[in-house]
This record gives sequence, C-alpha cells and structure tokens, in this order.
Amino acid sequence: MRSTKTIIGVLAASCVLALMVTGWATGAGDKTTATVGSGKASATKSVCGLGTGKKATGRPIKIGGIGMLIPGVDFTTIGKVAKAYFDCVNDNGGIHGRPVQYILYNEQLNPAQQAALARKLVESDKVVGVVGNTSFTECGTNWKYYKAKGFVVIGAGVQAECFGTPSIVEVNMGPRYSNIGAAQALVRAGAKSIVVASPSTIAAYADGGAIKVAQAAGIPGKSVPVTLPVTDANTIVQQLYQAAGPGGGIILDFTPDTAPALMKAAEAQGLIDKVKWGSSTPIANTFMAGQFGKWDGKLYINSEFGLLDPSQGPDTRLMLDVLKKYTKIDPQAFAQMGFMAGKFSTIALLNVKGPVTAKSYNASVRKLKNIKTDMICKPWYVGNALPYHIPNNWDITVDYKGGKVVLKEKCFAIAPVDKEVAQTRVWEKKFKLNTGK
Amino acid sequence: MDSVVAFAVFGVDWEFFKPYIVLGLALGGVYALSGVGIVVLYQATGVLNLAFGAIGAAGALIAYWMINHTSWPHWLAYVTCVAFGGVVNLAYGLFFGPAFAARDPLVKMMGTLGLALILLGLMAWRAPVGGAFARFLPLPSSSHTFTVFGAFVNWTQVIALVFAIALTVVTTAFLRYTNLGTAYRAIANDREITATLGVPVRRVEASAWFGSGLVAGAAGLLLPDLLTSLDYAALTFLVIAALAAALIGRLQSLWVTLLGGLAVGLAQALFAPYASITQYRSAAPFVLAIVALLWLSRRRVVTITRTAR
Repeated sequence: MRSTKTIIGVLAASCVLALMVTGWATGAGDKTTATVGSGKASATKSVCGLGTGKKATGRPIKIGGIGMLIPGVDFTTIGKVAKAYFDCVNDNGGIHGRPVQYILYNEQLNPAQQAALARKLVESDKVVGVVGNTSFTECGTNWKYYKAKGFVVIGAGVQAECFGTPSIVEVNMGPRYSNIGAAQALVRAGAKSIVVASPSTIAAYADGGAIKVAQAAGIPGKSVPVTLPVTDANTIVQQLYQAAGPGGGIILDFTPDTAPALMKAAEAQGLIDKVKWGSSTPIANTFMAGQFGKWDGKLYINSEFGLLDPSQGPDTRLMLDVLKKYTKIDPQAFAQMGFMAGKFSTIALLNVKGPVTAKSYNASVRKLKNIKTDMICKPWYVGNALPYHIPNNWDITVDYKGGKVVLKEKCFAIAPVDKEVAQTRVWEKKFKLNTGK
Repeated sequence: MDSVVAFAVFGVDWEFFKPYIVLGLALGGVYALSGVGIVVLYQATGVLNLAFGAIGAAGALIAYWMINHTSWPHWLAYVTCVAFGGVVNLAYGLFFGPAFAARDPLVKMMGTLGLALILLGLMAWRAPVGGAFARFLPLPSSSHTFTVFGAFVNWTQVIALVFAIALTVVTTAFLRYTNLGTAYRAIANDREITATLGVPVRRVEASAWFGSGLVAGAAGLLLPDLLTSLDYAALTFLVIAALAAALIGRLQSLWVTLLGGLAVGLAQALFAPYASITQYRSAAPFVLAIVALLWLSRRRVVTITRTAR
C-alpha cells in the first residue's frame, strides 16, 4: 500500500517537474523570438520608439485621446491603434525608460461631453499631450481650449476646424480633401457628373471641395447628405443614382460601418456598372476588398495613405506586426492613422530634453517637420506657429482586386480648389517642411 | 412616352420610379406579414406585441453569429432565426400571458415593451454598434435576380411579397375553417365565456403566441436582406410600420392589414425621389394610419351614454 502511494507521489512529482521544465523551455524559446518593434532603425526597418526590446518601467508619462463612437461610425479604432503603438514602445524601452500610459475616452457626438473629456484629460488626468482624437465635431468644440492650454493635438480629423486651427495637426487629410482627390480621379475617368454622399453632420464641409472640382471640370456637382445610421440603403443608393444619372460619378464618403450597406444595395440593384464609383479613404481596407469581389477594378477610392501591403515599406510592416501582436484590428486606413499619431507623438516625446511636461512635449511637437514615413506621399510636419495645418495633402487612388487593395493611381497633389491648400504649399516650400531635408 | 407622362404627372422620370416600386412592395410585404402576425395575436390574446421587431432582430443576430462564427450549415441558421421567434414569444406568453390576462390592454402592451427593451439591451451588450464593420445576413435568394420593365428584382423581394399574401390567405382560412381558428375568434369575443365552454384557453393562446413569434422570426430573417445590412435597431423599430399596418386594419381585418402594410412600404419608397419630402418619409406609417382610421370611421356616430349605477 505504501509502495503504491510512493509510486503515485513520484509520478505526480515527475509530472510537476516535467511541466516546469516545459515551461522553462518554452520561456527560453520565447526569449529567442525578437520583440515586435525592436532592433536598430534603418531605411528598411522601423522600430517602436527606442527599439531596445526591454520593458519600460518607472513613472508613466500620460497621453490622452478622445474617439467618437456613434451608431454607424466607430472612430475609436484610431485611438486603439495609437495605444497599441505606445504598448509596443513600452516593450521597447519606452520614453528613455519611462512607459507611456495612454488614456482613451469615447464620446457620442456630444459637444458638452467632448468639452468635459478634454478638460478631464488635461486638468484631472494631467496628460502631457493629446493624441489620436477623431470625431465629427470634437475639433470645433475643443480647439480653443487646447490652444489656451498650449496643447497641439496630433490626431485624425474630419471637420474644418481640424485643418483650419493652430492647435490641431492631423495625420490624415480628412473627408473634404479626400473627396476632392476622389472627384479628381472620377473626372479623369470621364464621369459625367459628381455626386457626393456624406453623413449629414459633416456634408456641408466634406462635399464642397469635390463639387468645386466638378464645376472646374464643367460637369454638374451635387451633395447628398445622408442621415446616420443608414436604415434604408436601397433607397439612398437609388437617390444617388438618380442625382448622378447614367455615366455619372458617385463618391461614397462613409466609414466601413456604413459604406458596405450602400455598396451591397448598389450590387443588389445592378448599379455597379451604371455609374463610376468613388470613395474617400476609409473603405481602403483588405477586409472590405475581400467581401466586395464584384467591385474589382471598378472603384476609385482616394487613399490618403499608402497600401496596406508589407512591400509598402518599413512603417507599414511594423504596423502590421503591431496590429497582430497588440490588437484584433484588421489592417485598414484607421489603423494607419492611429499608428502615425502614435509614432509622431513618440518622436516628439523622445526629442524632449529634460523633464517631460505638457509644456516641453507640446513645444517638441511644434518643432516636428520632415518626418518620413512610407504611409503617406510626402514627409509629415507640424511647423512652428502656423495658423493651420494640412500636412497630408497628396494622395493615391486605389481599387479592389482579388481580395486586396491595389494601386490605381500613384501619388498626386490634391487640387488646390481651396485657398488653404494653395497657402499650405507656399509654407511647405518657404519653411522646408516636407522637403525631406 | 410613358417616361414623359410619368415625369409630367410625378415630376420624376419613370426610369427612376420603377426601382422604388419594387423596393416599396418588398418592404411593404414584410410590414404586412408582421402586421398580420400582430393582429392574430391581438385577436387571440388582447396583447399588442411591441416586442415583435426586437424578437425578429434577436433571431437575425443569432443567425448571423451561426453563419459567421460556426461551420454549421446556413439553412440551420435560417431555421433557428424563425424558431427563436416562436420560442421566445411562446415563453413570454406562457409566463406572462396568464398574469396579464385580466389586465387592461395598455398594461398588456407595456409588458411587451419591457420584453423589447430587454432584448434590445441584450443585443447592444452582445453585438454593440461600431466594431468598425457592418453586419450582413444575405439570403441565397437575393443573389438571383431578374428584371421587370427594366427594374431589378431579386427573389428575396418576391418572397417577401408572396409570403405576405400567402400568410394572409392561409391565416384567414385557418381562422374560418379550423376548430383552433374558431377558438381564436371565440376568445377574441369573450375569454371567460369561452373558457367556461371547455375550450383550453391557455393552450389556444399559447399557439397564437408561438405562431405570431414564428412570423416575427421570418420578418427578422427577411428584413436584413431587404435593407442590405443587419441593423438590430432598425429591425426592432420595424414594429412601428407593422403597427401602422395593423391599425389600418383596425386590429381586425387581415386583408386590410395586408393592404395597409403594402401601402406603408410603397409610400415610404415612392416619396424617396422627392428631395423636399424625402427626409420625412419615416412619418409615412403614422400619416397613413391616421388617414386610414379617419376614413374608415367616417360614418360612425359617436354616442355618449351614461351608465346607470
């Protein structure tokens, strides 16, 4: 009896030992796998922050962000990916040893909530910087507050104030300029008219530039505001077709929450080939390309960012790795926005000499210029003391093919139908903001 | 020529009108069959089921989950969607039906509003809006299309319309020619007397809850395909158009409910080409219900009597 107990005891001990050895061996195996974003940065390799591969410790540096989440539009992806980038930075030495703590709040298109959250971030949470903000109206609500507090927000914008005020700098070009790019592509493709459909909240701003492009080309242009969430996509698509007419051009300016319903409706009603379809940036993603095979070769999607393919360059490769390791988010334009917001603010943080405070960080942000990345056509910048910023004003046209997003037109300049774009290009030359030198 | 006439009469090119007629009839079909389901339940139990749309929406979400997250066959997901409607409605009827039986119709109705809100909450919890991508629940029938006078028609649209008509015909015959149908009508007249005559009232009511729930599930399956995306909020508020159809039928006539549902669907679609009124299309169910109720009661004399105590 005793011997039986002994045998059982030995077996149990052996099992525990075996498990421990296996665990140790597995741990050892992990150590041989390089940490995502680690290594030495070069022309062909991007790293997260310092790229040391060592976890940052110590007192965190707080960065905050505000993302809009309403039925039909989820902008929180941008902040989530910015957080993923900061997590990667934290796993690679942080900001000279200190981790970044990213605080992301959601808002529901509510100005009072937007104002309260900005104040909470700055005054209660004591963040040193605001990064990754994206909303239909938050720029308009808070830009004066950020300016008064000396903050320069690095985010992804939608409305006019995101591109027309001194305290906000966006990594994207927003719907107005993206729609201009889509309209340029459709005009080049021979569209007989341009109809732009945007969410009613932003249509007045977002659609105007594309209509100017149509007018400059001597064809009719019309804006069709759409109330979100879309509950009757078939009718809306018919309205768009009715406005554009056969051979006309329709630009869909919606996020991946809403655009698919309209595209499915166009499919169901046999309208794909009756007009030329354009879009602003958000639907340039592989997930949708895989779902909409019938649209292969038939789309003119303006993309403010490069292709989501590893061959695009080192930043894109790193972003794909970061998404895989730190999130469950599919590669998409919103991920590129979040990645760039995280990367550019990290550069500003690393450039700070001395203590990282709100004052020193935002001063560092203002000095950013000629930041190279393969995700956009020209180097990105902030530019000290500019009254407004449109650093991303070149883009490409992409299409779907075999479940992938493919290049249709190489980098081209957004038509300067707005005087702000023309003025921006003057500043870029004068202050050498994106010359790459 | 017809195009010129249509433009002169309606102010819109006939070519643009045709697709709206197809869309309106298909959506109207779903409103109509939902209205019929609501009327039958009301007739048998006195309950105006405000959870009708939410039950269909929840069934559709379950079907979506089965199709996208399991390897089970699609037909099983479709059957589950319809069966879910029947089971949930039946469960509600079995648990709360007897308790509410003697209560005021308004109380009965508010009970179903509670069920709708619970289902809406559960859906918002398990399948929150956002998440970056839209949900779809396409039926195989929508990939088969044909044209009628140049208008694109898919088989889901045909099924929606034909199903509504068939349901109305079958239900009318059922109520008139079967024992169960006679029991429904008897309960509608007087529940207590029917019970004293030996009719198993609870069982009869349970069958009404179950049948009406199956219709809710079927509507929940058809509507995401007709609307091109699965928006559970939109599906939940399907009940508004269905209620309008039921009210047009004065919660009595299945045939008028059918016509009411089709009229609501057509009105919503045919106002779409007019830029000046298109944003008010969602009011069409109420406007039509009010107009129809006024018209149908135009010859009624309102009498006020004082009951002797």
